[in-house]
This record gives sequence, C-alpha cells and structure tokens, in this order.
Amino acid sequence: MFSYILRRLVQSFVVLLIVIVMTFSLPYFQPHGILAPAFAVLGARSTPLNVHVWAVQHGLTQSYFVRLYKYIDQLLLHFNLGHSYKQSLSVRSIIALYVPRTIWLALSSLIFTVIIAIPLGIFQASRRNTVVDYAATGTAFLLYAMPAFLLCMLAIDAFGFHWPRFPISPPSGVAPWAIFTDPKAFILPVGCLTLLSVAGLSRFMRGTVLEVMVQDYVRTARAKGCGSRRVLWRHAFRNALGPIVTILGLSIPALFGGALIVEDVFNYAGLGVQTINAAITFDVPTVLGITVLVSIFTLLGNLMADVALGLIDPRIRIEGAR
Amino acid sequence: MTSTTAEVAALSDDDLPVPMWRQRLKIFMGNKLAIASCVYVIFITLACFLVPHLHPTNQTNQAIAFSTPQSQPPSGAHWLGTDSSGFDVLGRIFFGGEYSLTLGFLAGFITIVVGTLYGMISGFLGGVVDTAMMRLIDAFLSIPYLFLLISLITVFGRSTVFLIGIIGLTGWWGNARIIRGDALLIRNLDYANASTSMGANKWHVIRRHVFPNSISNIVTVATFSVADAILFLSALGFLGLGIQSPETDWGTMLQSGTEQIQNGFWWEVFPVAVVFILVVVAINYIGDALRDAFEVRLIER
Repeated sequence: MFSYILRRLVQSFVVLLIVIVMTFSLPYFQPHGILAPAFAVLGARSTPLNVHVWAVQHGLTQSYFVRLYKYIDQLLLHFNLGHSYKQSLSVRSIIALYVPRTIWLALSSLIFTVIIAIPLGIFQASRRNTVVDYAATGTAFLLYAMPAFLLCMLAIDAFGFHWPRFPISPPSGVAPWAIFTDPKAFILPVGCLTLLSVAGLSRFMRGTVLEVMVQDYVRTARAKGCGSRRVLWRHAFRNALGPIVTILGLSIPALFGGALIVEDVFNYAGLGVQTINAAITFDVPTVLGITVLVSIFTLLGNLMADVALGLIDPRIRIEGAR
Repeated sequence: MTSTTAEVAALSDDDLPVPMWRQRLKIFMGNKLAIASCVYVIFITLACFLVPHLHPTNQTNQAIAFSTPQSQPPSGAHWLGTDSSGFDVLGRIFFGGEYSLTLGFLAGFITIVVGTLYGMISGFLGGVVDTAMMRLIDAFLSIPYLFLLISLITVFGRSTVFLIGIIGLTGWWGNARIIRGDALLIRNLDYANASTSMGANKWHVIRRHVFPNSISNIVTVATFSVADAILFLSALGFLGLGIQSPETDWGTMLQSGTEQIQNGFWWEVFPVAVVFILVVVAINYIGDALRDAFEVRLIER
C-alpha cells in the first residue's frame, strides 16, 4: 500500500510540473507577445517607456528559462504566484482571501451530491424501467443538458422573487468567516451546484450498479439464497463503489467549473468571480495562478480517490505496488 | 464443391448473415426517441441556416433595432416579441443558433479528429511513448476545463475562429483517453496479432484493424463532444467571454434574457432556453442510442 501511494504521489508531482510549465508558457503564445497585457493595464499611459518600466517591474525582461525557474522555485517553496497586474496585491493574497469561500461552496455541494446521488442511482437501478426510474433519468438528462447558469437564474427567479423563501445573495464581507453570518443564503447556491452534479453522478451510479448486477457473483449470491436487499448492498453496491470513487475524483474539475458559474450568478465573491474579473482585465498572473491552484486541488482530489480505491479494492493495492 | 454450392443456393434470404451495420441500423431505427431526436436536430440545424436568409429580420443593425419598441411581448409583427435591444426574438434564435451550432459541430469535429489520432497513436505504440503521452493527458485533464478556457481566452482573445480553435483544440483529452483504451484492447486481439505475424506494419494494423473496430466508440464520443462543445460555448457566452454583440449565440442570448426575467419578459428566455436544451438533450440521446446500437452484446444472433 505504501509503495502504491508513493508511486501515485510521484506521478502526481510530475503531472503538476507539466501543468505549471504549461500555464507559465501560455502568455508567450499571445498574438502580441508577453507584453500584450501592458497595453490593457496601462491603457492610455502606454508609452514605450512606461511599457518597459512595467515589464521590468514584473520581471518580464528576463529570459524564458530564468523566469520559469524562478516561477517554479517560488511556487513550490513559498507558494508565491507573482503579483497581480491589476490589483496592488500578490496573487497569493488574493487566493488566500477567496479560497475558503470557494472550498466551502464546492465541498458542501460535493458532500450533498454524494449523499443524494449514490442512493438515488442504486434506487433507480433496483427499480429499473419503472416510472420512477424513467422520471429520474429524464430529469437527470434535462439537468445535464441545462447550462448551469440557466438553472441558477431560474432558481433565483423562482425562490427569490415569485416565491421568496431564500435570500439570493450571500453576505459579502471580506473576512473568511463573514459568509457564515447568513447560512440561509447558502441554500440556493449550494443547492444549484448540488443538483448539477447529482445529474451526472446518479446516472453513472445507475449504470455501474446495473453492470454489476449481471455479474456472475451476483447470480451466485442470488442462487445461494441472499435476499435482494442483501444482494444489492453487500454485493452490488460494494463492487460499484470502486468506479464511483474514481469518477468522484475525476469530477472535481467539473465541480470547480460549476462553482465558477454559480459564484458568478449569485455574486458569491470566491475564486471564480476573481478569475472572471481577472480575465476581463487581462490580469494574466491572477488567472494563471488560480488555474494552477485549482489544478493542484484536482490532483489532490485524484490522489485521495486513488488512495481510497486502494483501500476499497485489494487488487489495486497489490498490483499497484508491483 | 457442388454440394456447397447447392447448400448456398438453398439458403433463403433470411438465413444469410445480415451485415453488421444493417443490424446496428435496425437497432437504432427501432429506438423511436432517437429518431425523433435526429429529426429535431436536423430540423433546427436547417432552420438556423436557412431562416435568416429566407425570412431576414434585422439582427445586426443596432440603429434600426433602437428605433423598434424594446422588450415587446409576442405580437403579429414579432411572433416571439422583441428583446431589450429591439431585435426580433424568433429571428434571433435562428441567427444565434447558426453560431452555436456551427461552433459546436466544428469544435466537436476537431476534438474527435485530434483525440482519435492521439489516442490511436498512444495506445498502439505503447511503452514509454504511451506513458509519456498519457501523463500529458493527465496534466491537461487536471486543469479544470472552464478555468483553462478562461485562461486561453485571456491570452488569445475571442474572435469566432479562436473560439472554435480553443474549444476544438482543448476538448479532445477525454476522447483521446477513451480511444486509446480501445486501441490498446484491439491491438492485443487475435486478428491484430495475426495481421502483425503475417508481416503487416503498425500503420497497416491501425488503419485496417484498430480504426475500423473502434469506429463505434469514436462516433459515440463524437456525438457527446458536439453536445459538450455547445454547452461550453454557452457558458462562455454567459460569462461575457463569448461572441461579441451584435452577433450572438444561444448562450449570450440566454444571458441577456435572464437579466430581463425578473421583469416578467418570459419570451426573451424560455423559447431560446427550450430550443437550446432540447438540442443538447437530443444530441446526447442520439449518442446514448448509438452506444446501445453498437453494443455487440445486445445484438441478437
């Protein structure tokens, strides 16, 4: 088990390095070169002299490899992602300010998704081709096809205006804990994000359980007289758990993507809103820094999923150690 | 020899083996909902490309639109009313659909071509090359896609061509991984091994065995790619990073429409939302039906 984890750790680190090099290199491919944001940032003041001063300030005059080395060194040892072009803050402090809010949003809806989607998928699989199954599948299909922002907007319209039950915008204090002053304001954002992820996961869960149900060991279990409940939970569910854990790990990027949209709609000041604002103002270091950060979260999520998979499934643990 | 000929002659049409593709087509055609989905997608696509030319409404001239009453409910002159800029909503659905569908189909097409090539090569070469190529995919996939799209748009700008390129050239990673799994499986099957043992080179095996036998997965994955491309484009449109006004796409239309929803201007949101969601649902459903049709285990023998 230990060598399995170690191997996955090394792999993730290699992937992380590739991600860092890729995001770092991206601005070099800009149509107008690496100084392109200068014109957006300096605006009318962008004389050649000002652009040069700006470039020196942000260390853009150094060569690609020197900058890359410094970037990786600063990132890995000090978690320093450079300075924002637009706000007079380091990218690290922008992240520190907004990351707890996004984590809170993403994590709580992830938990709700698991609590709802897994039983729902199993339930659908055990009542396959009944009215309940068709209704749930149809709803999931519709939710999957619905753009995230539309669902949020409709929720705001329904529960914020026509049938005003919930506050529609979360408290926007700067302190990380200010968001907890009005817990009811979380119901809509977290609810929307949860619904969106439940759509995909329950469908996957249903398919996986159905696939497991036709395996020989399930038939054997039935043949030796297991009750259908016991077959479902002790045999089918436990064997469907592996794919589910993997897909949960893989769904983290989509979760952050969904969180970005939800943040934008509900004006929930988190990383997503920061990313969009930075994108609109050509604040390249902020966009790239946040992108690297969410990639790190994804890698951590995948790593945790792999470890969990090793714990669930002894075959992986042993084969992975080889 | 004669007896075999006689046996063959004695076989009726029903006994002859039915070609694989015809069996699959039969399964697909048996799925009524899938046929309905196909009809719908074709109908909407044709409408989006033809209606703006057959029955032109002003969709680009903001000056004329400004003199038209804005946010008017449906009437005889404007069947689905006008939007907050004074454009005719019904005409705008088709006008925006032209962009959404063109971008979706083109980007989806690029993702499947690139993904197939990459996956085939990686899966077939195997070994160190495969490991390196897949680590690269791991890296790509660990960047949340929407964040990546936003980074790319920040860096490269957002003309229509760039949008197609950005979605097309970044959407193929998942596809490559699926196709690679197929290639890996097929190249170890007996017929591929037999071909190699008879002296076929790798390119021949890919072309004659691996590719034809993974075509079912490729087609299925391609369908989902188109639906995803349309969805991601709409998300970008919503974030204000999509097509620039006065041109529009469904995502941008939904975005400007939802701003009006609290005023009760339902015609600016729901018609386009229904058309859009049904297109995505239909394309996804066609993908599901194709997967069922291609599933060998389901074919009755």
